[in-house]
Amino acid sequence: MRRISMSVVAAALLGAVAIAGPPASAQKAGGTLVQITQPEPPNLAPYISTSAPISQVTAKVYDGLLEYGFDLKPKPALAEAWEVTPDGKTVTFKLRKGVKFHDGKPFTSADVQFTVMDVLKKVHPRGINTFRDVTAVETPDEHTAIFRLNNAAPYMLSALSGYESPMVPKHVFGQGDIRTHANANQPIGTGAFKFIEWRRGELVRLDKNPDYWRKGLPNLDRIVVRFINDEATRTAALEKGEAHVAGFGGVPYNDAKKLATLPSVEVTTKGYEMISPIVELLINTKKAPFDNQKVRQAVAYAIDRQFVIDNIWFGFGKLATGPISSNFAPSGIYTDNVTKYQVPDGIERANKLLDEAGLPKKDGGIRFEMVHDITPYGPEWQRFGEFVQQRLALIGIKASLRYEDVATWLKRTYTDYDYTLTSNFLYNLPDPVLGVHRAIHGKLIKQGTVFVNGSQWSDPRADELMDKATIEPDPKKRAAYYHEVQKIVVEASPIIWVFELNFPTVVNKRYKDVITSPLGLYTNFAGVSRE
Amino acid sequence: MGGGRLLRYVIRRLLQAIPVVLGVVVLNFLLLQLAPGDAATVLAGEAGGAPLEYIQQLRQRFGLDQPVLVQLALYIKNILVLDLGYSFRNASPVLPLILARLWPTLLLMGTTLLLSVAGGVLLGLLAAVWVRTWKDHVISFAAIIAYAMPLFWIGLMLILAFSIKLGWLPTSGMEDAAAFYEGWERVVDIAKHLVLPSITLALFYMALYARLMRATMLEQHGLDYVTTARAKGLTERQITVRHMVRNALLPVVTVAGVQIGGLLGGSVVVESVFAWPGLGQLAFQALFARDLNLLLGIFFISSCLVVAVNIVIDIVYLVLDPRIRVG
Repeated sequence: MRRISMSVVAAALLGAVAIAGPPASAQKAGGTLVQITQPEPPNLAPYISTSAPISQVTAKVYDGLLEYGFDLKPKPALAEAWEVTPDGKTVTFKLRKGVKFHDGKPFTSADVQFTVMDVLKKVHPRGINTFRDVTAVETPDEHTAIFRLNNAAPYMLSALSGYESPMVPKHVFGQGDIRTHANANQPIGTGAFKFIEWRRGELVRLDKNPDYWRKGLPNLDRIVVRFINDEATRTAALEKGEAHVAGFGGVPYNDAKKLATLPSVEVTTKGYEMISPIVELLINTKKAPFDNQKVRQAVAYAIDRQFVIDNIWFGFGKLATGPISSNFAPSGIYTDNVTKYQVPDGIERANKLLDEAGLPKKDGGIRFEMVHDITPYGPEWQRFGEFVQQRLALIGIKASLRYEDVATWLKRTYTDYDYTLTSNFLYNLPDPVLGVHRAIHGKLIKQGTVFVNGSQWSDPRADELMDKATIEPDPKKRAAYYHEVQKIVVEASPIIWVFELNFPTVVNKRYKDVITSPLGLYTNFAGVSRE
Repeated sequence: MGGGRLLRYVIRRLLQAIPVVLGVVVLNFLLLQLAPGDAATVLAGEAGGAPLEYIQQLRQRFGLDQPVLVQLALYIKNILVLDLGYSFRNASPVLPLILARLWPTLLLMGTTLLLSVAGGVLLGLLAAVWVRTWKDHVISFAAIIAYAMPLFWIGLMLILAFSIKLGWLPTSGMEDAAAFYEGWERVVDIAKHLVLPSITLALFYMALYARLMRATMLEQHGLDYVTTARAKGLTERQITVRHMVRNALLPVVTVAGVQIGGLLGGSVVVESVFAWPGLGQLAFQALFARDLNLLLGIFFISSCLVVAVNIVIDIVYLVLDPRIRVG
């Protein structure tokens, strides 16, 4: 017995040596990947909720019309080809043939029409905006879907991934009320993996879809998504190899550094280029003295961003220059030609600005007192709050800290506007229209809308530029509009953009090709394989 | 006492329980209204922002646009027919959500209860027998340490020692997430996953019971009936086992009753550290998401359990001490 097993091992070793040449041959079909997602998603209905953890699960089950490369350009997925008319008001998608949903029914243009017009445009938190200008989706045949728009919508082609706009089956979700649909937690898509079960508080099991439209894929037999509430335990599970991938801050930043030293683990910050989170300080510009631009600029000068990146986020970040992430550099939208607040003499400049604003230092060198709210997302945010408190003290502002739970903080910041200065972070998403306008556009200010212009600042010129950029099909002109927007907003400083957060994704090295897209964990994992 | 009398007693207690449980529901409902922010805000917040029309749509769907008293009346009406409502956040009715967490919770808490009562009673008894010897000191000191250490820290240290360094046991979860075992293999797998969390939680309660048992045993020592037994010529061993343990158990049973009452609540800390899919975590998440239907459902079922356990404990008293009468 022993002899046989030894010879099997020897043969396997020989075989491994023999085929070790081209990297593709080291890949092997089969195996289970265990992904940690934190927190547990509230449901598995990405067509109605964009809660961050949901699509880490459902992007493996639902496909989109398009996928994206690291150049942020669209690639074919459910749509094999697409064409935009020069005025941008008609977009025609040629759909892939022979694609089946997990229940065996074919995917057709009727599903696209239903998904866009009856689901995303009506009940998806961002779809309401993305498809605002879409008036109809025409279906001349089963494999053609023609989008008719009121205006050009250049951002729409960036928002058709399985994460942002998942294609759902009309024959399932067309029955009954989409808002309380029985299949909300039993997703049926066209994706590489089929939903099997969800054990609440424990795991979601997804098995290989043998009829997947990419022949020969997926490589893995199964993906299990586990939910582990405690961050130290998540690190332990990854260290021991019980789990193989985790991202989106699921692993504490200092633990990510520690895990990166293990031979079995790799830590990457790629896979967030179409998400682009930016850490910021949000200022209530309706509240004195922060209605004064000079006071806001003073605070902007006072925050040492590099210190925050290096010491609080353990290096997982890059200086932010304004509302738009440097990830938009390839499309020309990003510019760093704006007022720079990260300067060596920031404290002196800040003090001078506050003197000019008529807020002299009084007893004990204090100009005024205020409360600094901390966004309730964990320990690093508390440390960030303490650092801001210290920096403000250097310019004569005495700040006390307030830390509340998420619901209370959201209500205070976006419903009651009962705050002065709060930390915050927002995603840029695939296009400024979707991720940036909401923070700074004047027309969007509406009490009670979370993460929408909490500073209540607006500028007619900036609004006009953003409106033009929204419907401008020419990328060069669009970029020029956004350059001017960045200049105006950074100068006015209603928000202090501190740094671009680079989430670390921890990947077990036995698994190959895990992060292959700017959407990272929000992709289908069809190409992931185990050594 | 007659069996009929006991039955009448139980029925009376059950009837008395109805207004208590309803009171708990109403009180919880009103208390939860005091928390700022609502489920629609949190859902939109989790979604990373949403247009106002979406948030209003949510409020309408959740019935949050109704006056509080109307919401309360609706909830009571549903509770009376045992309809616990719908959790919009979880896109699922409340009852199956709770039931799915019920058996992992009972498994963890039940194992913990057995371990801690058995271990605690035994250690307390030994400490009392060996009173003021080095053995007593070791037990008492260990009990204080176990009682004083934070649960999450014990849990993490056990993971570090037995999972990472020694590799004997899994770090977390209730089952091997990659394997999906069936039959006996599954039982063994779950048992392995159960070891660390139940020990972590049991250490705390064991310390409590050990100290309680030791104290009451020592207290019994000087009582008249013990002197009488000694005068009768019984051996110390007979006195301890037949007479004193039985009396000393009463306070332990009382405390265990309180622990059982809290069973359904689970343990947020231990469930969290070991990723155990229990009710504690569910309630915790529901609170932060302002998922009131789910939270009230958990409170409702827990309060029913507390009432039931109280009745059972009272009956256990009767068995342990025949002098106690139901009135």
